Amino acid sequence: MNKKQICITLGIMCFILTFAICIQIRTINTANSTASQTLTDNGLRDEVLKWKEKYDNAYEELKKSEKTLEEVRQKATKNDDSSSKKEEELKINNTLLGLTNVKGSGIIIKLQDANENDSLATSDNISKKLIHNGDLLAVVNELKNAGAEAIEINNQRITNTSSITCEGNVTKINGEKIGSPFEIKAIGSQGLLYGQLTRPGSYLSLMSDDGIIVEVSKSDDISIEKYKGVVNFEYIKAIK
Amino acid sequence: MIFVAIIIGCLIGALIGINSPIIPYTYSGYLAIAIIAALDSVFGGIYATINKNFDLKIFVSGFFGNAILSILLTYLGQKLNVDIYLAAIVVFVGRMFNNLAIIRRHYLNKFIEYREEKKKKDMDKKEV
Repeated sequence: MNKKQICITLGIMCFILTFAICIQIRTINTANSTASQTLTDNGLRDEVLKWKEKYDNAYEELKKSEKTLEEVRQKATKNDDSSSKKEEELKINNTLLGLTNVKGSGIIIKLQDANENDSLATSDNISKKLIHNGDLLAVVNELKNAGAEAIEINNQRITNTSSITCEGNVTKINGEKIGSPFEIKAIGSQGLLYGQLTRPGSYLSLMSDDGIIVEVSKSDDISIEKYKGVVNFEYIKAIK
Repeated sequence: MIFVAIIIGCLIGALIGINSPIIPYTYSGYLAIAIIAALDSVFGGIYATINKNFDLKIFVSGFFGNAILSILLTYLGQKLNVDIYLAAIVVFVGRMFNNLAIIRRHYLNKFIEYREEKKKKDMDKKEV
């Protein structure tokens, strides 16, 4: 073997080694875990990741089929006057159900748990310094009362079937876990929403008295994503 | 020449490694073992160079052979519910420390010899 060959082999080997080390470091960093040496733990983690991947794939497929459905619908209603009316009706219904992406003007509310050492907080009840599902419910209620047409909390659209529940130490909306800080977006009349939520004695003012960090801002360009689940019913029947 | 090749190889490896997709978490355990085996081979190679019996064929076959064998053994251990990878780590890292100790001693001796020679030279100069 001459010197050139030796150089090339050593170079390739160094390449492989550093390449492998880099990939390994990045993999461990993204796995974001305290070093667990047991392979059973890894197996469990891997299973979770696999299920997540499956879920993502299924969601992607759902999106695709929704698109084809839309296309088919449009084709069917192209040359027909009465069915194009139906199509418009369908669109309105979907918008009302929260099944379309919408945008418009409205307000954004940001809520965050109180700082631990906040001495300004009047309440010494530690529970009041946290944001609970009941607080979110009250805020959503006030928003609806003020005429909000679309509401979203941390990317979870509030629909007819949404529930805001407390599951141990996290809040669940539409079955998805969310946590503080909360960002509530609402589309509707800016003046009404802002006035209603910032008036003295509103629920938000009570919360901020307890030390919770509340921030309300108007925005002309709020976009709210559609409800990602499926709406179906089994027991209700329309009365003719 | 050889050092240039090594440095270029390392640089390209790091660059591509940083920009490449990551592997699934399950396989990172195997890759870790392979890396340890390869590193062991590298230190073994340096030790052989010091002893002046370095053979590229043995080095390359050890580099890849050890890596692949350790991966296979780890896999077997997982199937049999025995943590064979622990044994592999103990063996490889133990040998790595051995080789490192020998390398260190070699260069330390060289350094001491070099200093003594320098001292002698200085003494000679003074005498002159």
